[in-house]
Amino acid sequence: MSNTQSIAPVPIDQIVKATNILQKSSAPKFGHELLPYFSFKQGFLNLNNGSYGALPKVVTEACNELMAWQEENTDFYYRIGFIPPLIGVREQLAQLVGASDVDELVMVPNASTGLGVVLRNFLWQCGDTIIRCNTTYATVYKTIQYIHDVTPGLEISEFQLLFPTTRQAILDGWQKHITSVKANAPQGQKIVAVIDSVVANPAAAMPWKEMVKICKDVGIWTIIDGAHSVGQEDLHLADCGADFFVSNCHKWLNTKRGAAFLWMPKESQKIMLTTIPTSASYVTPGPDRPETNIVSQFQYNGTIDYTTYLSVHVALQWREWVGGEAAIHQYCNNLAKQGGALLAQTMNTKVMDPNGEFTMAMVNVTLPFPSDFQAQYDASVGTALSNKLLARNMYAVTYYHNSLWWTRVSAQIWNELSDFSILGNALVTICSEIVSEHKNANVPQNCKAVSFSSYLEQPLQGAVALDSNNGIGAPRPVTSTKVTLVGYHTQLASIRP
Amino acid sequence: MANVVRLQYESKPPPFGHEMRKCFSFDPEYINMNHGSYGSLPSPVAEAIKPYYALAEANPDLFHRFTSIDLIRDVRKRMAKFVGAAHTEEVVFVPNASHGLNTILRSFIWEEGDIISSCNTTYNSISRTAEYISDIPPHPEAVQFTLLFPTSHSEIIQNWRAYVKSLNEIRNQSAQKLGRRPKIVAIIDSIISVPGALLPWKEMVKICKEEDVWSVVDGAHSIGQELDLNLAEANPDFWVTNCHKWMYAKRGCALLYVPKRNQHIIKASFPTSHAYKKGGGSNFVEQFEWNGTIDFVPYISASCALDFRAWLGGEHVINDYCHRIALEGGKRLAQILGTEIIDQGQDFQFTLSMVNVAVPFPPTMSSAFEIDMAFRRKLLIKRKIYPAFFYHNGKWWIRCSAQIWSQVEDFEVLGEAILEASKEILEEFGDGTEKKTMIIEDKDERLIVN
Repeated sequence: MSNTQSIAPVPIDQIVKATNILQKSSAPKFGHELLPYFSFKQGFLNLNNGSYGALPKVVTEACNELMAWQEENTDFYYRIGFIPPLIGVREQLAQLVGASDVDELVMVPNASTGLGVVLRNFLWQCGDTIIRCNTTYATVYKTIQYIHDVTPGLEISEFQLLFPTTRQAILDGWQKHITSVKANAPQGQKIVAVIDSVVANPAAAMPWKEMVKICKDVGIWTIIDGAHSVGQEDLHLADCGADFFVSNCHKWLNTKRGAAFLWMPKESQKIMLTTIPTSASYVTPGPDRPETNIVSQFQYNGTIDYTTYLSVHVALQWREWVGGEAAIHQYCNNLAKQGGALLAQTMNTKVMDPNGEFTMAMVNVTLPFPSDFQAQYDASVGTALSNKLLARNMYAVTYYHNSLWWTRVSAQIWNELSDFSILGNALVTICSEIVSEHKNANVPQNCKAVSFSSYLEQPLQGAVALDSNNGIGAPRPVTSTKVTLVGYHTQLASIRP
Repeated sequence: MANVVRLQYESKPPPFGHEMRKCFSFDPEYINMNHGSYGSLPSPVAEAIKPYYALAEANPDLFHRFTSIDLIRDVRKRMAKFVGAAHTEEVVFVPNASHGLNTILRSFIWEEGDIISSCNTTYNSISRTAEYISDIPPHPEAVQFTLLFPTSHSEIIQNWRAYVKSLNEIRNQSAQKLGRRPKIVAIIDSIISVPGALLPWKEMVKICKEEDVWSVVDGAHSIGQELDLNLAEANPDFWVTNCHKWMYAKRGCALLYVPKRNQHIIKASFPTSHAYKKGGGSNFVEQFEWNGTIDFVPYISASCALDFRAWLGGEHVINDYCHRIALEGGKRLAQILGTEIIDQGQDFQFTLSMVNVAVPFPPTMSSAFEIDMAFRRKLLIKRKIYPAFFYHNGKWWIRCSAQIWSQVEDFEVLGEAILEASKEILEEFGDGTEKKTMIIEDKDERLIVN
């Protein structure tokens, strides 16, 4: 079959040229010097990496090359070409997160999908129990709700987690909760617990391995929502004891959005019957079904753009160049702690976690509202906070928890301490605006429109000129658009991390 | 509100045919005769969406919390009109047709005695979906309608009517035993994947209605290839299509159409939305607006793709060309191979832009998938030209997609390549009459068939 004209699978490094520049230059220090390596609008103060991540320019360019490669010969790409690079990416991730075998790790578009497909694979019965927390992330919380709604006799047991607290208090409470659930559950029915490795709101690194052990000791399944984990902390999944672990690569690992992994050791794969959507590779469970069938299913289960998964390779190169995992974690964790303290000082409020036992690269600080204002939850406050931050060309998450308004701030390698005091001063002004608007009943219940017409430096063009040599004129927009946005998604603003 | 910018082009498009390759970014040595599997992204569309990617990075919070939501609502309005839905709220985006069809099929609360019907020609992953649903408790019965070419639209309609009526009889018997009336859910292709064939799906949907059977239409190949969709008139219970196939959107971009009367059936999106509430239905659109972080730009690209197609002259102009090339090319190919087009009737009622021609093998030829893999090696890898291969009703066939860059000459090049390759395969595998050890070159090959 060897024929010099044949096409054959090639490794990503032969397709992507954008990363060549990394070999020719050394990385700047962490801090504002790194801002030119990202694509934020000039002056945008990004203190919310935690929600949607950020794509370094090099990775953006590499993705453009990967997307162009996809279009050269799509039959080759989708039948043959994408497979070796995808397996390569899975191997890299398996190594990074300490999985014992590449076939324990598959790619999914995002954590919600990974957790959703695991939860939906269990064959739920009357008498089963699912354990979640009040802090479980919204889509997972609602997935469990949905399963409950379609499974007569299934119980949800909700563990209440209120911050501030301590790791020991959580573990004591969790132990009591698990003991009680186990005692009340019908014999022979399964109990499945969904545990966050890092809670989103408030941002809190949980003692999840200890929580897993408590569950495992009494035969409870554990599914870990590790959406925020990879790239923010070191993982050693092989000996973590959990049954499933899911994490987003597009949050803290700098990949293109739409890339996450699902870790499922061999024992766990026994309950995984199908991907969602079901793959052409699906085989009815039984003696004829190969043991690794579910891994084959995850390789292709509907046409998608694999660029997101393949971008892991490039993202890891970039992270290595910029300082490596350990240095990145250390910088971000230190900055989160120092920055949180400075932010609290600026606003004259408090850090949720002063001794830092829950703090990695995200920190939570109370907002400077008067106490009577704090006590009365009003969703429109969340919308107003969100809009006013965006209008000032900055963003951090704000949310209501345990009768207080908080901000959750992400410390990233492009941030410096001064960013926290800028945010703090802005929030002081913003909060006092909101309080007086409320007093004067100026804030409508549901929404407040904010115009961002000055946001874009130039109107949205919609297209760029094609190569003028081929005689095809450049597409141009019929009208240039000023992007005017209405912030009326109260649920979205306050629930999504 | 943020609106997706409508594009206007400053000069005329290149003529259809090989010159149109200027608008795509294919490997110059590759003759693309299989657009139908994965679609092709026009370069102007790839350029037009770059500003949206830039927006996503300029301020990820602004884009993901607000801008993308508004933009996609704008595109949905345009798409709803395009497919002839009665309301924008009946059309939502999903990543691909498999995802949309799985959302529907998993939403039904399956019960003992229920029947899930597919065809022998149903797309492979959807057949597996029906199989999975039947594999798990409460094990609804999976049944199959047999559709064998050569046939005709009228024959299919006749057989479908008899089939659905027989399902109803089975259901009535179950109803007596169970004390309640089970449901029948029928998966119907608008255009079959292999063979690439337009079905009389609107009539089949009508028959379903007459017999109180749910119609779930897999329209993966429809949008951009099938003209005048008019879903409000056709009135299927559920309908799904891939915009990234024949409509030139970026992968993955598909539409899920659920008329208002059926939205209560869709219990939840996948993944479940933060907006989920019991009973579904009342906030159908909201539940599909955010299902986890993805690349949202493909949904926006649907609008840019429609602008590109308008620039080319619009849907009728594009499809008239593709259809003409499919027929002329298919006939020429059949001539070269000494075989026939699957579409036996003079009116070629099954052929839109895809044409199916028999491979010149003896009737005893094995149906083993190793032969499909062999064609893949000899054509896709070695000769850089590739149609889809499939085995149907005792024969190997090829499915060619005619596109705006195609010319009849391409079918001639393909014909020569297939003559050579099939001769080689006959030598390697034998003609099926005597036992011959199959040479399987790549034991690790994954089977991916579209």
